[in-house]
Amino acid sequence: MFKGIIFKEWIKLRWFLVIYAVFALLDLGYIFLKVRHDIIFNEANSYWYGVLFMGHQYFRFLKYIPLAGGIVVAVAQFFPETVNKRIKLTFHLPRKEDAMLLTMTGYGATCLLVVYLLVFGLFLLLSALFFPAEITSAAALSLTPWFLAGMAAYFLGALIILEPVWLYRFLYLVAAGAFVPFFLKAGVSGSYAPLLVPLAILVALLSISLLFSGYRFRKGEM
Amino acid sequence: MIRISRYILVLVTTLALSAVVPQMWWMAFDTPIRKPIVLYSCVENDFLIQRTGDKIVREDTRGNTYTREEYEERLPLFFMRQLMISGTMKDTINGVAMDVHEINMNRTFFNYQPTDLNTPDPGLWPLFESESGRANLEMPEDFFRITWRLEFINAKGNQISEEKSRKFSAALYNRGFEFPALMVAGIPTTRKSCDEGYFILDSHHQLFHLKMIKGEPYVKKAELPGEIRFSHIACVDFKDKKFYAYLFDNKGDIYILTQDEYELVKLPVGNFHPEKEELRIYGDIFHYNVIIGGNGFVRDVVLDKEYRKITEFNETWPVRSETNIGRWFAGLFPFQLSLSDDNSNYHNFYFSFSKGFIWLIVSVLLVIVQIVLIRKRGKLMGHVVDLALILATGIFGFIAVNIFQNKFFK
Repeated sequence: MFKGIIFKEWIKLRWFLVIYAVFALLDLGYIFLKVRHDIIFNEANSYWYGVLFMGHQYFRFLKYIPLAGGIVVAVAQFFPETVNKRIKLTFHLPRKEDAMLLTMTGYGATCLLVVYLLVFGLFLLLSALFFPAEITSAAALSLTPWFLAGMAAYFLGALIILEPVWLYRFLYLVAAGAFVPFFLKAGVSGSYAPLLVPLAILVALLSISLLFSGYRFRKGEM
Repeated sequence: MIRISRYILVLVTTLALSAVVPQMWWMAFDTPIRKPIVLYSCVENDFLIQRTGDKIVREDTRGNTYTREEYEERLPLFFMRQLMISGTMKDTINGVAMDVHEINMNRTFFNYQPTDLNTPDPGLWPLFESESGRANLEMPEDFFRITWRLEFINAKGNQISEEKSRKFSAALYNRGFEFPALMVAGIPTTRKSCDEGYFILDSHHQLFHLKMIKGEPYVKKAELPGEIRFSHIACVDFKDKKFYAYLFDNKGDIYILTQDEYELVKLPVGNFHPEKEELRIYGDIFHYNVIIGGNGFVRDVVLDKEYRKITEFNETWPVRSETNIGRWFAGLFPFQLSLSDDNSNYHNFYFSFSKGFIWLIVSVLLVIVQIVLIRKRGKLMGHVVDLALILATGIFGFIAVNIFQNKFFK
């Protein structure tokens, strides 16, 4: 049955994941095409100087891409479950309801993480071609909270979509809207270094948040 | 597990609200705290204070008030251009003839913000050619880093320049430099009058001066008196070329490092905390005006040209938490969270807790309201954690526990 659930989730997610991954990779391509172009036209030392001392963030076009990914995957995976309350079918299967929900979010989060790791890994690889470790690591420190924002948006998005009462759905949205900007503050490269571990812990904790709205759904909150 | 998931959501929401609600509060009610501008008049030998607000007031410490023109005439070296345009610039001040060239040569402006210290290190710096023979400085092709040696990385091709790296590493090593470096300080821009390279603290807190002269390394070790631990070095590019840098140590002292002699001179300006206080130093042909400003105070110390203290001015004013709006805030909210701090370029969880415990009254009221709200939902024991959270976090926790309602005991 576990395989069946995974397959069902895959059916829901596959095209969204593929399209999102292609979109994210195109964005990555644009970033490094622009870097290459600017280095050719402005000289590499001037470009490095701009990154090191003038606050130029060549990776800035990636800022909202992980966030968009988290929302897309949450909607693609959980919106169909709310249409005619289809998720109730899942709850009727001979498996613990919480385990079922955690399997679903675990699978969605893993898929999202795979795309994130692909994008992040490729970013590091391409950045290392043009820049020394100091520039690439500062960029990685700036990118990490954006990817954490994507994961937080996924978990909170799933929670909001599965919530059965519209009023609470709206209130959860307000709470999420207040929390997600924690990851997206503007700042110099590397400014998030002291905050990465606390934010990562909060996101990891949020991974079980879907259980709450799943419980309310099961209990028939209206 | 479901209950834990709820507590996680409540925790996250409490955190989010403790950042957003105070932000909204201050946006709606905050009033600007107008800091006085304090300068020392070489004409009056007194401090002149400009206070902004509904009406700009310019006064001295004896209570005399001045018009804008009178104020500028009493600060002739600060407003020289304006006075020359107005034709009111004096020919002599304190018996010294006012020569424009001499005034400009002695005029220095230095501005330090705590964010200069609390900021990520770039890790790479350009080492300029100090004696290229060209009129303007040119950006080098490579940048250096200091790890177990000094390495130059050529930007074109992102490759290490091995020969140059070896030459400069050896020069540092032969002068007693202990790798790696604790701090690299310089002025990494071509927009300066000349290049004086970098001041580098090695892993043993020794201070070295590194320059590149005609492609060759110039390394000089500055002999420091006693055990000094520098927390920040701010290099300067002044026309009078009297010193290389202002240096701050971890005991709150400010030093200068004299040009060519590498003599460390302590400025008698009292304690300075570079992690949270601003520093401005204005120099002219008579004085150095050292202005230290922090949260709710300013201290202006005047030094003569031999760095001896002449006089000092201190003023304090209520900080934001001591204003009426601040007191209201402290009465309503137990704390606030911010991800940014004016004194730092780093993002972090910056909590600031309200003074006093008046907010507890609001928290207790909210606990009572919550008890009324939940009385039909089951036993009170099932809500103890929620009530404790409201007591500790006030309105933030109250909103959070009511967004994610505790309905497990229905």
